[in-house]
Amino acid sequence: MTVNYRPARFPTRRDPGQKRVILIAGLVSVAFLILVGQLWYLQVLEGGHFLEASDKNRIRVRPIAAPRGILFDRHGLPLVDNRPSFTLSLMPRELDRDPVKRDAVLGRVASLLQIPFEDLVDVASRVPADSLQPVRVRRGLTLEDVAKVEEWKLELPGIIVEVEPQRAYPTSRFAAHLLGYVREANDEQLKQGRYHRGDMVGQTGLERLLDEFLRGRDGGERIEVDAMGRAIRVVQQTEPHPGAAVITTIDRRVQETAERAMEGRAGAVVVMDPRSGDVLAMVSTPAFEIDRFTGTIDRNAWLRVIQDPGHPLLNRTIQTQYPPGSVFKIVVTAAGLQEGTLTPSDRVHCTGEFHLGVWTFKDWKKQGHGNVDLLRGIRDSCDVFFYNAGLKVGASAIAKYAAAFGFGAPTGIALGGEKFGFIPQPKLSKKGRPIAWHAGETVNMSIGQGALLVTPMQVAGLMSAVANGGVLWKPRLVQRIERIDKGVVWNDPGKVTGHVELSPVVWAFLRQALWAVVNDGGTGGAARIPGLDVAGKTGTAQIIAKSKSEKGQDHAWFAAFAPVKDPEVVVVVLVERGGHGGDVAAPIAKQILSTIFLEKVAVAGFPG
Amino acid sequence: MLIDRRLLQNVDWPLLGAATALVCLSAATLASLNPGRAGSSVAFRQVAWFGIGLVALFAVASLDYKKLVRVGPFFYLLGLAGIVSVLVIGRAVSGARRWVGVGPLTVQPAEVFKICFVLMIVWWLTSRWAQPVTGWTVAATLPIVVVPAGFIVKQPDLGTALLLFPVLIVLLVGAGMSLRLFGGLGVVGLSAAPLAWLALKDYQRERILVYLDPFRDPLGSAYNVIQAKIAIGSGQLLGKGVAGATQSRLSFLPERHTDFIFAVFAEMWGFFGCLILLSGYALLVLRGFDIAASAREPVGRLVALGATTLLATQVLVNIGMVTGLLPVVGIPLPLMSYGGSSMVVSLMALGLLLSVRMRQFQ
Repeated sequence: MTVNYRPARFPTRRDPGQKRVILIAGLVSVAFLILVGQLWYLQVLEGGHFLEASDKNRIRVRPIAAPRGILFDRHGLPLVDNRPSFTLSLMPRELDRDPVKRDAVLGRVASLLQIPFEDLVDVASRVPADSLQPVRVRRGLTLEDVAKVEEWKLELPGIIVEVEPQRAYPTSRFAAHLLGYVREANDEQLKQGRYHRGDMVGQTGLERLLDEFLRGRDGGERIEVDAMGRAIRVVQQTEPHPGAAVITTIDRRVQETAERAMEGRAGAVVVMDPRSGDVLAMVSTPAFEIDRFTGTIDRNAWLRVIQDPGHPLLNRTIQTQYPPGSVFKIVVTAAGLQEGTLTPSDRVHCTGEFHLGVWTFKDWKKQGHGNVDLLRGIRDSCDVFFYNAGLKVGASAIAKYAAAFGFGAPTGIALGGEKFGFIPQPKLSKKGRPIAWHAGETVNMSIGQGALLVTPMQVAGLMSAVANGGVLWKPRLVQRIERIDKGVVWNDPGKVTGHVELSPVVWAFLRQALWAVVNDGGTGGAARIPGLDVAGKTGTAQIIAKSKSEKGQDHAWFAAFAPVKDPEVVVVVLVERGGHGGDVAAPIAKQILSTIFLEKVAVAGFPG
Repeated sequence: MLIDRRLLQNVDWPLLGAATALVCLSAATLASLNPGRAGSSVAFRQVAWFGIGLVALFAVASLDYKKLVRVGPFFYLLGLAGIVSVLVIGRAVSGARRWVGVGPLTVQPAEVFKICFVLMIVWWLTSRWAQPVTGWTVAATLPIVVVPAGFIVKQPDLGTALLLFPVLIVLLVGAGMSLRLFGGLGVVGLSAAPLAWLALKDYQRERILVYLDPFRDPLGSAYNVIQAKIAIGSGQLLGKGVAGATQSRLSFLPERHTDFIFAVFAEMWGFFGCLILLSGYALLVLRGFDIAASAREPVGRLVALGATTLLATQVLVNIGMVTGLLPVVGIPLPLMSYGGSSMVVSLMALGLLLSVRMRQFQ
């Protein structure tokens, strides 16, 4: 075997050309070392940071909305429920970066679903382009809409249909003011920082009051996606925590009956348990369509509701003040009897008119009631009797008892926006004489007119106190709140806000007189229910007519409790511009009471 | 016999070995990018191109490089014709006309032109008109590079056009240009840079601006650079392996089969893998410079120097741009990036090196 002879690679003496090649090779080597240095920097020094960035790239967090807590009535029937609903959302991160292509996609969506294109662009431009959070554009898609979007899915990058639980109501306007509507957090709420864009937040009523409990905690999925945003696999999943269940004091059957009875009228109904202050029903009409308010409502529909002359958003049970009319005669009677300025045997001859100086005050009954004592005065609601009685009792005493019965102050009900009402009070001089007060004001006040204003809820408080012997309860709407995992997290044992101290004889007289109103040929005869002892008082509140067409349209009141012995229920009905309380409001109260005492009445009505 | 037995003894096996190893890494990387048959088909085609390239390599190596240089001007004109033909009959792929159909194949004439260009410059610089290399020689050389560069920029393929200049400069220096002249040219070149700015297309300017400030437009033109950096960096020391390479496999990386394949490799195999890959290229390049240095006559030295610089520049610029050190210009990574023209031309350059090595003792 021969060994091949190889000369040395580099001759001992290098020529200048060779030196240059070596120089160039040296420079290239340095360049290689710089690359190594850069790789060291990227991979070793900054590697962790880039690893995080690559995870951020591939992992998307997709929220799973927690089902909102359910509101139950006192017997466990749901007042509001959840049903799955389809929501159109934008994934900002996955929308095309080219505004022209993006607008083409949005345009296609707009024409598919008949959504204004500007709305979509507006939403898309309001969120940061690299945001991972889906932005809800339109809730409550129909199945047909969902099918359209799914069919075009490949041409609609960045557009997804999410399934979210949404509020469902028994009827379109069911307990609208009490429950309140749920909508996406508005800009103001977002500013507070507690909510994310697209969160559903209770905006009014109990939904707003108890939002903290009802909303639950959203879960989420961590999903690995590719560069096109297509989901590859679920990396991690957190189950949502559903919101807490709220057990209210409402009786769904009573609420529904009251709503049906009030259909077509403007006004309010409060049904209360005088033994606890539990609100069994709370109706305000006209109501807004609560199901249309949930989710996305278009601007026009919203404006229509806001500009409706019937003010459907107003909760008339607590947010509107009315003169109480003759219902207030209860207070005057109580004040007079307790203070001794009035006795049951006081008599007045009613001719239908009452004169005070140059003024003439009229009775609602033109021809007058004739000879009237206190009981008849209440039973027939004789105004002239009470004009006299009011002057005897005095404005200050009337005001004092009105305040004792809870007028002129909030009832303390948990819902927001409650009005206080107003009790006109004469300022007294040092000698105890009224200053800047006209006796005519006392006359007006004694039949519940003039500057006196109350809310239907306050009247319910008055009737409860009469029914239960003087206890003023804070109206209770929520019994307790329960969480699936933690049990009862909140409960309201009820709260007494005051006592009206009257002698038992006075209470007895009041109950007897109010029984007579309904059962002994009084003004409330329309509320008579055979087999059930109903006590009540009618009221017809005159309002100062602003125009001719409004003239004669008085607010009709009827406030009742039953049974007279051991009262269980107080019903207050107010019909705006309804006319006479006995004609309009009393039949509604009867309808409600019949429903509540259906079984008892049936048993009593058909003995054996 | 076609090749002399003595020539065969002088085949530079380490050079060929390094090239083969790099192609194997390329095929493996391409196969792992797409799971299943799609991946293996891409890898198979890359290996097939390697086979075709090897034939070209041995064909080039078997010819005497001196004869090739002698007909350099002919190759040059042929290559120039190819470049011009692209502008006339070329196929447009995503806005660029870089390819022409030759039978069933599509060829990138600009790639092929690189080799022709090296032969032409060597022919010119070793001719009696160019020696000794003075300012006049440089001036006379300029049209040889500017004309084809202009056509290539038109395609547009800025990367390949720019590539011609470092090759030219190294060959000028290797051919004996005085270093003072070299310095003077550097000054002139820098002062001409603003003019070049005016000649650039908008997207090319954008790339340079992005290079200077990557977060100028993170979802727009800087997207490629940022995603490549994330891919490379997240590989860390040991890499994420094939399955964990989310940047590459979930297609966050652009151009992952071609220009950005280094980022894929870096994500999968980390810093250590990159060291091995860079060692392969360093071996290849330094071996090339060794061949140039040990060549005994100017033609061989310049041919080896030109071929080596061609490869070295592509490697450095490609990795430099993928790692964010240089602005993004479309230059493939020799032997790694998927593509037939680039593969065959890189192997032809290696063929020239082999040819010089084999004949260095004649």
